[in-house]
Amino acid sequence: MIVCVAVVGHQNNPLYIQSFTEADDALKLHHIVHCSLDVVDERVNNPKKSGPTLNETFLGLLYPTENYKVYGYLTNTKVKFILVTTDLDVRDADVRNFFRRFHAAYVDAVSNPFHVPGKKITSRTFAERVSTIVKSFGLSSAG
Amino acid sequence: MEEYPEELRTPPVTLISIVGCPELHTTISKHLHSEQPPINTLALPDFTKISLFSKPEPADPSPSPPIGILKRDWLTKHRTKIPSVLAALFSHSQLSSDPAAWLQVCSHIDQIKTVLRPRNIKLLVVVVLSDSNEDVSEDRMLALRKRADLDSKYVVVFNQNEYSQSLQRLGSVLAELANLYYRDEGRRIKLRIEKKTFSSPGLELHIRYCFKVAVYAEFRRDWGEALRFYDEAYHILRQMIGTSKRLPAIQRLVEIKIVAEQLNFKISTLLLHAGKVAEAITWFRQHNASYRRLVGTPEAIFLHWEWLSRQFLVFAELLDKSSAVIKNISSLVLATTEKPLTEWESRPAYYYQLAAQYLEEKRSSFEIALSMSETANEINNSAESVVPSTYVGQFARLLEQGDTFVMQPLTDEEYIRFAVAEGKRFQDSFEIIALLKKSYESYSNLKVQRMASLCGFHMAREHYAVGEFNNAKPLFEGIANLYRQEGWVTLLWEVLGYLQECARKHGAVKDFIEYSLEMAALPASSGTDTQSFRFKDCGPAGPASLAQREVIHKEVLVLVSGESGLASVENSTNLKITGDNPLHLEIDLVSPLRSVLLASVAFHEQIIKPNSSTLITLSLLSQLPLTVEIDQLEVQFNQSDCNFIIMNAQRSPLASMVDDKQGCRVETSPSLTLSTNRWLRLTYDIKSDQSGKLECTSVIAKMGPHFTICCRAESPASMDDLPIWKFEDRVESSPTKDPALAFTGQKAAQVEEPDPQVDLNLGASGPAFVGESFIVPVTVISTGHAVYAGELKINLVDVRGGGLFSPRETESLSMDSHHVELLGISGPEGEDETQLGTDEIKKIQKSFGLVSVPFLKCGESWSCKLEIKWHRPKPVMLFVSLGYSPHSNESTAQKVNVHKSLQIEGKTAVEFSHQIMLPFRRDPLLLSRIKLVPDPDQPASLPLSEKIVLIVSVKNSAEVPLRLLSMSLEVDNEGIEGSCSMQHEHETLLDPALLVPGEKFKKVFTVISEANSSKLRLGTVCVRWRRDSVNEEKSGSTIVSVLTTQTLPDVNVELPPLVVSLDCPPYAILGDPFTFLVKIQNQTQLLQEVKFSLADAQSFVLSGSHNDTVFVLPKSEYILNYKLVPLASGIQQLPRFTLTSERYSAGFQPSVTASTIFVFPSKPHFKVADVEDKRRESIVAE
Repeated sequence: MIVCVAVVGHQNNPLYIQSFTEADDALKLHHIVHCSLDVVDERVNNPKKSGPTLNETFLGLLYPTENYKVYGYLTNTKVKFILVTTDLDVRDADVRNFFRRFHAAYVDAVSNPFHVPGKKITSRTFAERVSTIVKSFGLSSAG
Repeated sequence: MEEYPEELRTPPVTLISIVGCPELHTTISKHLHSEQPPINTLALPDFTKISLFSKPEPADPSPSPPIGILKRDWLTKHRTKIPSVLAALFSHSQLSSDPAAWLQVCSHIDQIKTVLRPRNIKLLVVVVLSDSNEDVSEDRMLALRKRADLDSKYVVVFNQNEYSQSLQRLGSVLAELANLYYRDEGRRIKLRIEKKTFSSPGLELHIRYCFKVAVYAEFRRDWGEALRFYDEAYHILRQMIGTSKRLPAIQRLVEIKIVAEQLNFKISTLLLHAGKVAEAITWFRQHNASYRRLVGTPEAIFLHWEWLSRQFLVFAELLDKSSAVIKNISSLVLATTEKPLTEWESRPAYYYQLAAQYLEEKRSSFEIALSMSETANEINNSAESVVPSTYVGQFARLLEQGDTFVMQPLTDEEYIRFAVAEGKRFQDSFEIIALLKKSYESYSNLKVQRMASLCGFHMAREHYAVGEFNNAKPLFEGIANLYRQEGWVTLLWEVLGYLQECARKHGAVKDFIEYSLEMAALPASSGTDTQSFRFKDCGPAGPASLAQREVIHKEVLVLVSGESGLASVENSTNLKITGDNPLHLEIDLVSPLRSVLLASVAFHEQIIKPNSSTLITLSLLSQLPLTVEIDQLEVQFNQSDCNFIIMNAQRSPLASMVDDKQGCRVETSPSLTLSTNRWLRLTYDIKSDQSGKLECTSVIAKMGPHFTICCRAESPASMDDLPIWKFEDRVESSPTKDPALAFTGQKAAQVEEPDPQVDLNLGASGPAFVGESFIVPVTVISTGHAVYAGELKINLVDVRGGGLFSPRETESLSMDSHHVELLGISGPEGEDETQLGTDEIKKIQKSFGLVSVPFLKCGESWSCKLEIKWHRPKPVMLFVSLGYSPHSNESTAQKVNVHKSLQIEGKTAVEFSHQIMLPFRRDPLLLSRIKLVPDPDQPASLPLSEKIVLIVSVKNSAEVPLRLLSMSLEVDNEGIEGSCSMQHEHETLLDPALLVPGEKFKKVFTVISEANSSKLRLGTVCVRWRRDSVNEEKSGSTIVSVLTTQTLPDVNVELPPLVVSLDCPPYAILGDPFTFLVKIQNQTQLLQEVKFSLADAQSFVLSGSHNDTVFVLPKSEYILNYKLVPLASGIQQLPRFTLTSERYSAGFQPSVTASTIFVFPSKPHFKVADVEDKRRESIVAE
């Protein structure tokens, strides 16, 4: 289950962060998302380590916390997407698929002429779309 | 890691024992210890002690089910008590002397054999020889070997004469035997595993055997096998969970976990020791994954967290230690395709952090357990007698029965009580802080700032929890800075909440207000996400929401109103903001409080006139959730005279406010209310009488009686976004109503100088002439200002912008670097220069002058004259500036400047030209002239001893009429005195000639050159002139005549070899014959052959020879005689005479003018006047 998704801007500022959990760990998730930016920085600044993933938007598993797995994605405009999930056995293909759909939703949201680039995304449509994508995560693999 | 027993932490070391010959024990054990690998020695003083190694008889021979997995002391036993080899040392004397001694030896050996056999300890017999000639007989040795039942190589001779050699040999044999022993033991136990001799339900023995095999392998340094068997033991142990029923549930799990911990430690150590970091990390991940879920029963849950925390801590320490060995840990290829390892998993910091995290878990569950046990019943003292039992991970109660101790198994409740009692002894907070600190430092060194700040945050929270606010505060502040930068509002809110509480507990009112205001101004809205925060998860400030912000804001408002105080924890006083304890906040450009109050100030005009008012717009913005009422605003400028105060009309002015700002301008505004994210715009007049920069420095807002916020003024044009709000999607309006002003508005304006009320006139007109002292009158007329400390600056500048006649430019032309120079400044008429006061400045350089202007009252005037001289014709720009102060007392502060400039052309007044004329009808043959290509640069040639006429003309090239006063030719060649004689009359003209522009004046001079010189200086023409001014009578004395000189070019003087002169009458009469003589004069000492020809002329009838060649004798004259009859009247051309000198191959002809004659139609009748043949005359001609 995805517990948190986030869009992080150029200055590592949160543009959109949404948790999907009933428990009281939303703040913890914020911390996790924030810390995972370190890994994104590391991956982006030292691309040689990640070798084959050069020029790929999908950054892979950022770090396994004890209860969560954090995945990252970097758009070509250097906006970061972070995904936190509680599933400990996640297929890469699912995550990639999720990020692709999420990216499409993001592109649509920021293409809104009333959206100011670099500001937080407040679009309700975007939020609804994201929650749909989150709910459908992993269903394809199950089915 | 330190809490593990020594034998577990370090790899096992082979143990052997020696007995007999005690004098050698120290040497041998020292040597063995220094061996590689080292061997530990157990030295027995005598043979009776051998019984120590005897195996105790099992009490109950029938196999009973095992009651534990690993015996606690087994490893210690094998490392320190049970040797692998026993080396029995016998001296030569014992062996080779009397039979009684030999019998003794035999009995020793028998005793040893009986003791060693059950334990399979290897035996080595050492024969010690102390002397080289000592020898043990073959028979004895054989007997000894037989007795000991040993292979011949295990009976070693130790020769004390060959000490080191013997030691070496002994060492190697011992190592070999020890290795053999451990291998045999390992094999024996392995066989048991294979045969499954243990009862099938009990996996304990299987694990124990695997462990033993692994330890034996470690003794042998066979790391691979050790690893394999540890691994096997570990996996079998994992199977035990849920199957074993031997112990009560909690203790069962505790035992398994502790054994697993030991096995994991061994495996991790071995893997890291082999440099397999990636495998170790993967292994640890599996270990963690398989045990993390085994939390156990709820009351013992804290034991699980403690255990887990310890796993991470130990692994972190191991990794830390090995990463010191393996330097470039990051360069290891960690990622495998299936299970990729992420960046931080190879860092100890990650494990320290998790260790701390689990320790926190432990603490919270321990607190629950503690409260449960306390409510149930008081802890009895029975816990004190609980000790670790013989098996690893088991605990038992020690009961005293008479003089023996009996271990009694515990129930789970008793165990929990014991564990709780144990747990109370530890200060978890300090442990957590220490762990987090390690992690924090490690992350900081790696420049992983966000992870580090998370660790720092947890650390600070621990400090906060134990009341160490001084430690917590800097950490929180550092973290808050990061979150501020990156705009993580919820995280920042939490940190600020802690900081606020720290400040509250410290009683630091200022800090408290600052943090509260910052929190209140954070863009935390009650979004969908923030609602899910429960109170427990948030910091002391509660969830970040609009409602909470309002609560905080209200709290601040109450506090600053001075009505209530801040309850401090530390000194338990109620801190209030009172008159004795006022609060003043500063908000600068980088302060996080900018979103609390932002002041933008814009002048409507960038340049303002002094004393004329302009508008200034003051805009204030606040992001506080509630509207803020400001009592009074004070606007401060760099010119303190301009400061003013804006009072809120709705508030009654407080007495103290009015008092301390006496004399300051006070404005009143109907309302000073700031609502959220809406600019409060106030526009006022501003007036300054001081020129220079007028800048608004700060705006001080006063709220409540003793609370002020000083906000640095910002220009709207260069205003930064609010640090955190810039990411928010909010309505942004410009600080001023006029959008253009919002883009260009500045908080500073330039106040101009006051307009000068003094006229400065430069009275020169027309061009200046080279050589004359050109007078430029300068007049200063005061038309409104009195002039104090006036100063006149004069500058001469090249019009082409080349600066002030730089010497570089003009060097090639003249040594005089200044073509135009300022000669002097003369004061006004009637004022002598000596009258100028000594304190007055007067400085004159060639192109710069400075003169002070005396005090002038309003309406007065002062003038002076500038005297400028041109050396070359050149236009210059004359700049004159007057600086003065209109008030006498402010001589230093305010200077008014008036500038004037004038371009003045410098021109040449007169142009010279000259002409040299030879005598009429007398043509010398000048040899220098007969070149094929005439050289234009060559000076003119003149014949020697001839009377030559020099005409010098002066042309007025100026635009004004000039009066010529005199003209003369000055001969300055003293060296060749008398080389030529000049004859002219009076120098000065009796009546000065007036030259209108363009007119020429000519003067004739006669020159007779008397020396044959190649260079003859004709001299310098000196012309004295002055301007012809109409009002000459009035100011005639002031117009000084100017002397202009020009040197005439040099000429050559040479002796002509031949001179041809034509002699004919001045006129002829038609039909009347006349004589035409051509005289050829040879001036040389040589005979000259000349050819001549006379061309026929149309208008004359000619008699005489046309062509001939004649010889002219030296220094004589040859005369050709012709008779001519004119046939036509008027100006007629005489027949052209041409002469060619054979000697010089040069021919020449008299000029056309020389061979022209006027023919009268009939004889004219002249009235002969007094015509004098004057040689010198002055002709005024065109």
